[in-house]
Amino acid sequence: MSEHEHMDAAVADAPHEAEEHGSGGMVFLFFLIGLAASLIVGWVIFPKLLYSQKNQPIDFNHVLHNGLVSDGCASCHFFREDGTFSGSPTLAQCIDCHSDVQGESEEEKRFVEEYVKKGIEVPWLIYARQPNCVFFSHAAHVKIAKMECVTCHGDMGETEHLRPYQYNRITGYSRDIWGHNIAGIKHHTWERMKMDDCAECHQQKKDMLGSVQTQKEGCFVCHK
Amino acid sequence: MKNEHSHQTTKKFGMVINLDLCTGCGSCMVACMAENNVPFKPDETDKLKSITWMRVYRLTNGKPFPETDVCYLPRPCQHCEGHDGHSPCVSVCPATATDYDSLTGIVSQIYTRCFGCRYCMAACPYHARYFNWYDPVWPDGMEKYLNPNVSPRMRGVVEKCSFCYHRYQAAKDRAYVEGQRDIAEEDYQTACTQACPAGAITFGDLNNPDHAVYKLKQDPRAFRLLERLGTNTKVYYISSKDWVRKAGDNYLPDERPKK
Amino acid sequence: MKIDRRCFLSLAVGAGAGIALSPLPWKLTDDLSIWSQNWPWTPVPKRGEAKTVNSVCTLCPGGCGISVRKIDERAVKIEGMKTHPVNQGGICALGLSGLQLLYGPTRVKGPLKRVGERGKGQWMPISWDEAIREVTDKLTGIRKAGRPQSVAWISGAASNTLNQMLDRFSQAYGTPNGMRLPTLEDAYGLSVSLMNGGNARIGFDFEHAGYVLSLGAGLLDGWGSPVRMFKANTLWKTAGVKLVHVEPRLSRTAAKADTWISVNPGTEAALALAMAHVILKESLYKADFVESYTEKLMDGFRNIVLADFAPEAVAKVTGVDAATITMLAREFAKAKRPIAVCGRGQGTLPGSLDLFFATHALNALVGNINQPGGVWLVREELPSWPDVQPDSVAKAGLGYPRLDGIQTPARISLPNRFIQAVASGKDYPVEALLVIESNPLYTLNDTAMVRQAFSKIPFIVSFSSFMDDTAAWSDLILPNPVYLERTDDVVGVSGFPYPTIALSQPIVKPQCNTRPVGDVLLQIAKGLGDSVAAALAWKDFNACLEASLGERFKSLRKSVVWVDKAYKPAAWDEVFAAERFSFLPNGIAADAAFKPVGIPGDAGGFPLILMAYDTMRLSNGYIGNPPFLTKILEDTVLKQTDGLIEINPKTAKSLGFDEGDRAQIETPKGKAFVKVHLDDGILPGVAAMPRGLGHEAYDAYLAGKGINVNNLMASVNDPVSGFEAAWGIRAKLSKA
Repeated sequence: MSEHEHMDAAVADAPHEAEEHGSGGMVFLFFLIGLAASLIVGWVIFPKLLYSQKNQPIDFNHVLHNGLVSDGCASCHFFREDGTFSGSPTLAQCIDCHSDVQGESEEEKRFVEEYVKKGIEVPWLIYARQPNCVFFSHAAHVKIAKMECVTCHGDMGETEHLRPYQYNRITGYSRDIWGHNIAGIKHHTWERMKMDDCAECHQQKKDMLGSVQTQKEGCFVCHK
Repeated sequence: MKNEHSHQTTKKFGMVINLDLCTGCGSCMVACMAENNVPFKPDETDKLKSITWMRVYRLTNGKPFPETDVCYLPRPCQHCEGHDGHSPCVSVCPATATDYDSLTGIVSQIYTRCFGCRYCMAACPYHARYFNWYDPVWPDGMEKYLNPNVSPRMRGVVEKCSFCYHRYQAAKDRAYVEGQRDIAEEDYQTACTQACPAGAITFGDLNNPDHAVYKLKQDPRAFRLLERLGTNTKVYYISSKDWVRKAGDNYLPDERPKK
Repeated sequence: MKIDRRCFLSLAVGAGAGIALSPLPWKLTDDLSIWSQNWPWTPVPKRGEAKTVNSVCTLCPGGCGISVRKIDERAVKIEGMKTHPVNQGGICALGLSGLQLLYGPTRVKGPLKRVGERGKGQWMPISWDEAIREVTDKLTGIRKAGRPQSVAWISGAASNTLNQMLDRFSQAYGTPNGMRLPTLEDAYGLSVSLMNGGNARIGFDFEHAGYVLSLGAGLLDGWGSPVRMFKANTLWKTAGVKLVHVEPRLSRTAAKADTWISVNPGTEAALALAMAHVILKESLYKADFVESYTEKLMDGFRNIVLADFAPEAVAKVTGVDAATITMLAREFAKAKRPIAVCGRGQGTLPGSLDLFFATHALNALVGNINQPGGVWLVREELPSWPDVQPDSVAKAGLGYPRLDGIQTPARISLPNRFIQAVASGKDYPVEALLVIESNPLYTLNDTAMVRQAFSKIPFIVSFSSFMDDTAAWSDLILPNPVYLERTDDVVGVSGFPYPTIALSQPIVKPQCNTRPVGDVLLQIAKGLGDSVAAALAWKDFNACLEASLGERFKSLRKSVVWVDKAYKPAAWDEVFAAERFSFLPNGIAADAAFKPVGIPGDAGGFPLILMAYDTMRLSNGYIGNPPFLTKILEDTVLKQTDGLIEINPKTAKSLGFDEGDRAQIETPKGKAFVKVHLDDGILPGVAAMPRGLGHEAYDAYLAGKGINVNNLMASVNDPVSGFEAAWGIRAKLSKA
């Protein structure tokens, strides 16, 4: 760089210095705009972009059904003889009552016509579905630890409609895993189901902490 | 009271493989691959890259014809205990992807946790660990036979024998719904043990005097692989042949095995 | 007020701060790490309700029970059936790989008609109606022209209702040319009927034997019912029962044997006869049996073995020294419940009868026939159906001699001689060939000749489930469902001493547009009309099975297998009173019975002997190797696409080869490029290659890997029976 050019630069800078104080507010305003916009992006738009949603193939009224069955949740969500948990019911179970249309609900009519009559299983979207690397034993939690369904599933049994199923566009996980709150804050046990949430209880089982690396429970207890 | 406590007692699952009975037929290898969703490629002849949690090695006594003798040696993960669970692979894993569970004695491998540094493979003296150099690909339609109890692995992670831990989980679940806490010896058996047509593999709790492995491991012909490394493995072998027992721990030609 | 650069910088700083204070970066990091751990293209197996369905494996004649684990409608694992008397929960590597055949890429998805040149792989999918009409029209035309004898079939199906139906079809249609691929079972069956009289399947009470002498039988390499043999070996090892194995190569059987006798190739029978020599000379035979129930010993057999099979003379032939032979003979004769058994390798080819005669004579000398822990004659037969009423066309056709030269009605078939006849074109031509549950273009020795024969047959129909070597060379494919999708019966288990009948049944719905051969044949018969339709009037194959199995059909659906565990072989008085056991097979000249079969090729030009061997890790018959089985193949057998040839380091040294060197193996029948593998466990001067590699058809997991050793083998007819009797061929190994 030549000396001449240096001088030019110094002259050109001078007026800016003079205006500095005047533009201070402006700079701060822009800071606020940037801050506000990005907060909106981060807290409001980002979650909307991150999650997509689908509706369940048909609606289902848990309250109504709960009133008709004798054994609560376990009437339809039961343990099989081999110790596995049946999860959402299959057509074979529904067919007992719904071989023909029972009530006046449009949804039921659609269910009977589109699934029961055609013998097609309903592709339920499972809110609480853990990823494939997770082994979760309902038997251990319900039969041995005597935990209630609500502890993890919330008041699902008291809903009259199925809410839309939201899933993460990047991971494909159900939104229930991270929880509805984008910051990951939860107020109830069932509001988030990440590994740390499992660990909250599991770390208290002093006699089961077998891991040599972590002094916690063995990895295989929950992973496959 | 005793019953309530027993499920918490420390188990030490292990295997005793009778090499006198093993015919090297390869059933254990395929049983393992079918059970554990182990992938396959069009060319599997590069054995360093061929994922086989269970592999049958062919040992020879090195003598010329016709004094030549051969012994087949199935090698699952040896589930080393080392000292207090510091098995070679667990000690080096920077990702806590592999771990030793002192309640079962099983060395776990969590694929989603693994980031593929392969330190564990270098550390393992038994070549029991395999790296997924490629994405697993099942020909169209063949993914139908995949077992839902075992998660398929992805490119870039290490995998190995788990002693069919998912079968332990399944057995426990079965017991739980029946109101039991304990499982019987026959309720938890690995896929290879179950398949072996020669009955050469025995699996069970090495701590439990009622289990067959407890007695078998005390057989005077029993030995473990590379015992002098201090890996403290949980897979015992039985052979009535002196040269096989010597080969099991790289003894020098003039050295005598301790038994 | 002016908006300047600082404002923008400030905006950026604000935005940065805002983003950092929002969950975006933290959540995104978490999600991206999850994404990178669970690639979305890694398959996630669907969960569902688990159940187990039992059936019988028909991939080999072993007849093992299988328990298939299903998740909803998917079959996810095949395991051994615990309560099955044959395999008791054990299972072999091939049986375990069955689902790869079911869901595999080599399935023929529906009926196909060839459009391009034969073997070029150009096919047109057609409907089942069209496919059946094509065959029916062709067969009707041939029959109308009065040449029903020119229709032939080759079947690899086990002895069961399907085979009975095929025979019935031939009878009604009017062709004598039904070819069943013979195995050691047939060779044993024929030897037994020539020495014992009558028809029976041979069974071995191995579980109670006290000493086992295997003359080349790959007892632990897939002989008989493989899983049962592994279990028997475990019993022998725990009970201290001695297993002696005679073979030029350290096979798995040899490796597990207590004594391995490495014998010169093709001389096992001589060794057996030398042992008989010692037993007779030292009067070690079992007098009560030999004297009261046998004939042609002192006046026939004895003279032959004493004259020609002295241990010293045989030592020169076999390479086993006289002292060892004498020791073996004494051991065998003095052992409790000794069994001698033969059938080379897995016994997929029958072999020459001299070995069977010699082996069976040893069993007779020690009186271990129809005794606990001995060799049993087992009879289990399906009820026969009412006789076929052939019309005049059929009668005329059946009046023609069989192309394999066997007298009708034929109890055995000689596909080797059939192929030779077709290839030479000397007799009448074959106008149509039906290929069922077999892959003759791959499995028969001298495949070039098989191809030559096939090229003379204008119409070849394959019923294969897979695009195998023969299907690829056919004109029409009418795919059969695989064993996990159809119902079939299995009568008898190879080598098993108890009568059994089992039913293999559908585990899953058909995955492809397939129809069982039985059903298709019935439909073709219906289309042919007249006496053919009348002889095969069942509405479907299940009805046919029911007619064959009767009441048992229903009970087998639940129990899978029926076995007569209380079965006791007939007492000596019953079997050998009317017709004594004959040490010299009836109707065979004494000097011909024990004459060994030579080896093709001259020793001058071809100094080595090439032998084919069988291994549990290679399926070498109709079923091609599934990917799992190929995966567990040793890299000393297959390296990339190179097949390895096994030779002794001494042989290698004399030829200047090192491990892994490329070489050319040449026999009078052909040549191939291989790599050399050095192994101390093989007789110097012998080279060995496995059966089961070198397929031209199938998929990327099998096609073009290694060499089909059958390409290099010559077909040798046993002078006594006509069975395929080649045990090796002269060969030359040169640098490539």
